[in-house]
Amino acid sequence: MERREGRAAPESRESRGVAFVAHCLLNQNSKVGDGAHCAGIYSPVVDVLRDRGWRIEQMPCPELSFTGLNRFWAVREQLDTAAYRRHCGRLAAAVADMIAVRAGRGEDVVLIGVEGSPSMGVRITSSDPARGGLPEWPDGTAELTSGEGIFVEELRRELDRRGIAAGRGGETHALPDHDPLTQRAGLETLLDER
Amino acid sequence: MKPDERSFRIALVADRFVNPPPGGLDALAVLAEAGWGAMQLPADDYPADIAARILAEVTEQAEEFIRHGYDLVLVGDRDGLAETLGAAGLGVPDRIVPADAGELLRFLTARPAPDVASWSWLSPEGGNRA
Repeated sequence: MERREGRAAPESRESRGVAFVAHCLLNQNSKVGDGAHCAGIYSPVVDVLRDRGWRIEQMPCPELSFTGLNRFWAVREQLDTAAYRRHCGRLAAAVADMIAVRAGRGEDVVLIGVEGSPSMGVRITSSDPARGGLPEWPDGTAELTSGEGIFVEELRRELDRRGIAAGRGGETHALPDHDPLTQRAGLETLLDER
Repeated sequence: MKPDERSFRIALVADRFVNPPPGGLDALAVLAEAGWGAMQLPADDYPADIAARILAEVTEQAEEFIRHGYDLVLVGDRDGLAETLGAAGLGVPDRIVPADAGELLRFLTARPAPDVASWSWLSPEGGNRA
């Protein structure tokens, strides 16, 4: 269990902007089996947003509502079907509507995804064109690669189409070189640069 | 490798408890302490059509958790939520509008164990995938 200090909002704090965060950062129950890093809320990201005075908006989990809780682990190529693209496009349009409201009020917006995810990766996703069939593969198979997850890609395209700029970063827990301090510093830099 | 640490417990949370006003209750801190996940309900200042679309997505995801035996509760409320849940054949979860953190924590910790406490296929040594 990860414990956060304090349960009441400070008496005065102006919102510095709005962070649209991946669903699982507030709800690890949405993760693929064996993927939940903690019981529920992934506090390291929430703590940085609270400390920096950013409003939190939770995005929907595209994999949960498409392939369900019993889904297999997957790489981009396995999820990248026309139907999943349409599903992500629909969700991205809904999220972009929310972002447009915030941006229209002059609020800064950042997106915080999950690095390594085939759907929510911002700079690192999972890729293996050969993966399919019986879900077994050799140990050490390299699947992490530079690039965006499918939902993040659809959302970026939707925001580009609308002419909305948003900063972007990712939670790094699933990466082999994950370091909590480096992750925190990266998020702080993303927020402070806005 | 750590095992999967999910709690099988999720709270639908009104925006005012996710983004509390000055001095308001930070429900995320309480939920983190109690080991619950959160599904945020749309803020009241979104236009009705946008809020309706988000509520529909929240409902679809809640339906998936419910059908797998996860425990769901409601913290606060949101106009249109009951109707959207009802359209999907779902009732409104047990609800609390907490006055303070202690009341919310007591409510959460008093809940019975969810119908599903583990999945047989979750490997003990875990994998921790994105």
